[in-house]
Amino acid sequence: MEQHNIIELINKYERGDATNAEILLIEKMIEQGKIDFDSFPSLIKLDETINRKADPSPSIDLDHRFYEMLASEKSKSKIVSFSIPEWSLLFPRLALACSILLVGFLGGYWFHKPTENSEVKQLTQQVEGLKEMMMISLLEKESATERLKAVSLTQDINGPSTKVTAALLKTLNADPNINVRLAALDALQGYSNLSMVREGLVRSISQQDSPLVQVALAELMVAIQEKSSVKELKKVLANENTPKEVKERIKKSIDVLI
Amino acid sequence: MAKVRDGDPDKLGLLYERYKRPLLGFFMGMVRNKELSEDLVQNTFVRILKYRHLFKVEGEFRTWMFHIARNVKNDHFRKNKIVQEPIDKQAERIGHSETRATELQQEEDEELLAIAMSRLPEEKREVLLLSKYQEKKYAEIGELLGCTEGTVKVKVFRALQDLKTIYQQLEKHY
Repeated sequence: MEQHNIIELINKYERGDATNAEILLIEKMIEQGKIDFDSFPSLIKLDETINRKADPSPSIDLDHRFYEMLASEKSKSKIVSFSIPEWSLLFPRLALACSILLVGFLGGYWFHKPTENSEVKQLTQQVEGLKEMMMISLLEKESATERLKAVSLTQDINGPSTKVTAALLKTLNADPNINVRLAALDALQGYSNLSMVREGLVRSISQQDSPLVQVALAELMVAIQEKSSVKELKKVLANENTPKEVKERIKKSIDVLI
Repeated sequence: MAKVRDGDPDKLGLLYERYKRPLLGFFMGMVRNKELSEDLVQNTFVRILKYRHLFKVEGEFRTWMFHIARNVKNDHFRKNKIVQEPIDKQAERIGHSETRATELQQEEDEELLAIAMSRLPEEKREVLLLSKYQEKKYAEIGELLGCTEGTVKVKVFRALQDLKTIYQQLEKHY
């Protein structure tokens, strides 16, 4: 189509006189890139109004939600910091490593008949022994925190030896720090089924000068129903230095035990 | 975006700051509800993070982002009935604005245009909004809509034609 015909067609369209066939022709020329939107002043005005309209401002809430989501994603990616391309590189190496490990296991099994049960037991015993040693040496430290750590170590020891329970009883009776003594008492509570521990606990009652430990011991005696402790508890009751509140608590414990 | 894809999600903050307004503008144009539009912006960025490994370096981020935004919007339309401000309510607002002598003509034009836009079919409204936010890069819009650049131009032309008709009717009415 000639240029002047195109202009005439556009003018006709702008006046609103274009037929449907002419509009289709215009569309075809737009599709082929022969006419641009710039040629239609009425449409350009509308298009400009659309583009001029300022974008709305997001609320602070949106920013807040976005950065919260980003922070949570960052913390996740710290834990799992691999992506698919990395996996594709890693996979052959992992496969190789697994195969070597498997061959190693099979080889080990073939050349060395299983005596693992006794070895594992031996190893476990050695580890337990090390833990006990560490606990006992920590109990000798000057720092109360270190001694508290030592007491809490007993929780990791399966079926503690007499050495451990004796050390705990010694701590209960002689440690200068009340918190350490209370922690030792707490640890000993777990072994109250052992007669040696029960006897030690009963003997400890009259040796305590701290009301807190006295009350805790009295309550423990009730909990484990140790009737033989009544005599020792009465000694505390008879002591003039025992505070009135402690006496009341101990009296209640005695009533329950009797 | 390539850095985000390669394990530096912090960089998404920059992209968010750059595109939050255009994206909100796009959704506002589509659903005409600010709160809902903000939810859709948030969902778009959640998906950008989730599917970051699918971003191709050679592609333009904005086009990829609008591709995701369209999916978010389509999913929303599928799941829910569109909640939009009734046209009458919007028109009422315009009526009030006309009574204010000091109201700027430009503001009135824009509000009238917003009503006209809301009366356009979804597909036509979307192509006009994409034309704005993709800065008239019709080849990229074609990528988004799955058609040629020429077809996009015709779609924009038809949408503008319809918009003009609705706008002129509104002008007569108000």
